[in-house]
Amino acid sequence: MSNRRSGRAAVTGIGVIAPNGMRTDAYWKSVREGLTVLDLIGREGCDHLPLRVAGEVRSFDPADLIEDRFLVQTDRFSHFAMAAAALALDDAGLGGEPAEPFSVGVVTAAGSGGGEFGQRELQKLWGKGSKFVGPYQSIAWFYAASTGQISIRSGLKGPCGVVASDEAGGLDCLAHASRAVRRGTDVMVVGAAEAPLAPYSMVCQLGYPELSTVDDPDRAYRPFTEQACGFVPAEGGALLVVEDEARARERGVPVRAVVAGHAATFTGASRWAESREGLARAIRGALDEAGCAPEEIDVVFADAMGVPEADRAEALAIADALGAHGTRVPVTAPKTGIGRAYCAAPVLDTVAAVLAMEHGQVPPTPNVFDTCHDLDLVTSRARPAELRTALVLSRGLMGSNAALVVRRGDDSAR
Amino acid sequence: MTRRVAVTGIGVVAPGGIGATAFWDLLAAGRTATRGITLFDPAGLRSRIAAECDFDPFAHGLDAELCQRADRYVQFALVAAGEALRDSGLDIEAGDPWRTAVCLGSAVGGTTRLEHDYVLVSEGGRRWDVDQEKAGPQLHTAFQPSTLASVVAERFGARGPVQTVSTGCTSGLDAVGYAFHTIAEGRAEVCIAGASDSPISPITMACFDAIKATSPNNDDPEHASRPFDAHRDGFVMGEGAAVLVLEEYEHARARGAEILCEISGYATYGNAYHMTGLTSEGLEMARAIDTTLDQARIDPTLIDYVNAHGSGTRQNDRHETAAVKRSLGAHAHETPMSSIKSMVGHSLGAIGAIEVVACVLALKHQVVPPTANYETPDPECDLDYVPRTARPRKLNHVLSVGSGFGGFQSAVLLSGPGGRTR
Amino acid sequence: MITTEVTFDELSALMKQAAGITVDPEELKEAAESPFDTFGLDSLGLLGIVGELENRYGQPLPPDSERCRTPREFLNLVNSTLTAGA
Repeated sequence: MSNRRSGRAAVTGIGVIAPNGMRTDAYWKSVREGLTVLDLIGREGCDHLPLRVAGEVRSFDPADLIEDRFLVQTDRFSHFAMAAAALALDDAGLGGEPAEPFSVGVVTAAGSGGGEFGQRELQKLWGKGSKFVGPYQSIAWFYAASTGQISIRSGLKGPCGVVASDEAGGLDCLAHASRAVRRGTDVMVVGAAEAPLAPYSMVCQLGYPELSTVDDPDRAYRPFTEQACGFVPAEGGALLVVEDEARARERGVPVRAVVAGHAATFTGASRWAESREGLARAIRGALDEAGCAPEEIDVVFADAMGVPEADRAEALAIADALGAHGTRVPVTAPKTGIGRAYCAAPVLDTVAAVLAMEHGQVPPTPNVFDTCHDLDLVTSRARPAELRTALVLSRGLMGSNAALVVRRGDDSAR
Repeated sequence: MTRRVAVTGIGVVAPGGIGATAFWDLLAAGRTATRGITLFDPAGLRSRIAAECDFDPFAHGLDAELCQRADRYVQFALVAAGEALRDSGLDIEAGDPWRTAVCLGSAVGGTTRLEHDYVLVSEGGRRWDVDQEKAGPQLHTAFQPSTLASVVAERFGARGPVQTVSTGCTSGLDAVGYAFHTIAEGRAEVCIAGASDSPISPITMACFDAIKATSPNNDDPEHASRPFDAHRDGFVMGEGAAVLVLEEYEHARARGAEILCEISGYATYGNAYHMTGLTSEGLEMARAIDTTLDQARIDPTLIDYVNAHGSGTRQNDRHETAAVKRSLGAHAHETPMSSIKSMVGHSLGAIGAIEVVACVLALKHQVVPPTANYETPDPECDLDYVPRTARPRKLNHVLSVGSGFGGFQSAVLLSGPGGRTR
Repeated sequence: MITTEVTFDELSALMKQAAGITVDPEELKEAAESPFDTFGLDSLGLLGIVGELENRYGQPLPPDSERCRTPREFLNLVNSTLTAGA
């Protein structure tokens, strides 16, 4: 490879393991159709808990995609991440051992860790004794597990990182990867996958005041409506391949999108009214970095917390940052069909944004039919539109706000 | 855009030394803070020793409500951040909170509370279908790793980018590194950077027992952490926190702050080899060192001191010695390299930040802290490990390195306030 | 009294259970002098097997059991320990 560099971070590969679809094509089909897969949680040991509805990844057999020796030493969240990373690398035409290992790095965001694995080992420790704790607890439960295993499985020795974060960390890790590319790393594998639906992990989430405990899957997560009653969690996620745009063109792969701008702020855990200013500042910061005028934003992928005060703050933040354009730009929240997979939620939204730009369609917001906010919320069915630039928003339960601007790649849709 | 990054304040909660002064006294005296575990009954474990902090949160100004809400590792970080901010003289509210970032690392986060409440809801490990009625009211904050940076940001009024970094045992170094990038590349003027962990709990001790990574030298805990020594037999668990105030250089000068030193380079790589294993060649750590020096445009021969990861496991110390020799060449043999883990143990994600603070203090005092307990040379570890006694030395460029489970290899370069070359 | 020895069958099953490594017991027996890493078994995997055997038989194995290089060496050590300890 030559040393010619654009300094722009291009998305050249996408791998998705989501509740509404394995692989990118299936995910996009579900998102475009506004399919909802929210359902009663079916995992063992969960049905007595007051958290009833979530977005589960049900058609995933890790043994189909990951070698046994990796499976025994990792939690479900790493299974998702490893599978999605391999899909993304294949999509980018970078499957197999890299020619220059130090030029390919990995960064993931993680918000829930290896909860199911950890619960099993805690049960051995407290139920049977310390000698029954296995050797993999030390590498399966912690937040760094997925980055480490992706690096090892694919032989990637570039900069490796982990943002252990609330939801907004999903956008932070995409920015982190883009900056690594700007600093000179050729390729970054980046994203997040979560598996928070084990019994103890679910008990841990019950303390969130924002959590929806409504047991009707069609009514449990309806942001921007009068009936908003919180969010439902989800599992799964997405990994992307981000690389220098000039390098991507040189090796002749389609540039699916460009990560153009990012900014993040903090306004305190559950202080949703204050998130208005924080999110508006994040949007302005991301637009600044992207050199993008508010009017250039063709679609907004909303955070859509589903808490009335938070929804109001988000609608106002969009208006504050985008001005009059904020009430005209199409806004969508496809995550109402699958739930919020914590750090992975905004990564899945970013993937949806890339696909929406490729296909020229704004996907709808499932289960939401009318909004009580001054937003052009896309509901019911996908809306055709020429989309060049998308804005993805995310807020975390611990108070982070982030915005990401993604531009369409110049290549036509595949 | 690349801007210079100054260190203008430090704070530390370490075993045997809470506060930068007490911490430095411990290091300079070569005292060890490792002992039999008192935080819980370790009967039945292979390794029953640790470096614990004698920490009273109330003595450091934390109130009961906050202590109830914040886990021990968050309390450590709050105390260390408070000290660092006082040291820096910075007033965040009077400055620009939106340009003030927080970047803190932790390897295992809220594990201690997660385990505590697990025992309650599972009736002592008897139930998979745990009983939520028995969970404590703050369990969700232990589950959420970003609690660490969030609580610190909230308390001190930072509103810029707030991140928690979790790259295993390099979390502390990487948090300082990410913070360095955040300021150097213009996303903030100030960053509260550091790391915290309180991993001395049954599950964490048991999981390191299971891989025999921790020292079983229960009969002589004061001398159990023996980095680079031929008789080393594993690391000794630690706990603690360290926080630095990093500041854009001109921003610090404009407000007349004392610049303790600069962060002048940072790099990290993965070894893509094994989650816990290290090669004997140290290629990837050497690469991290080389890149760090390249960024700062510092010749390897200008390195005056290497603050080692030096965990005291057989493989780590061999790996690291090889890496430093690969990067510094013949100069490695003339460069003192010590491990403060011999004194304060290995506090997983926190230790990288504690070691960076040790480097700041080494630069300030122009003294190299020793490797305590070092007695018997190992043919595979043949550098100058500064045995047992601190050593005065002219220090200008100081390197801190680390390795973490997951294959992370990181390096941070600190340069004295007068000696930065560009 | 321990009357049964740990066999290649049992070791093969343990390798599958503790490390996700599939090796036919007969192949394992034939290649008993080959280093564990030729089967893909690493130090953590062998540690897991040691822990499982210790729990199963209720007695500790020697401190460096996980450093055994080959299946033969490992089984000899395990079986001599279990026999002696019985």
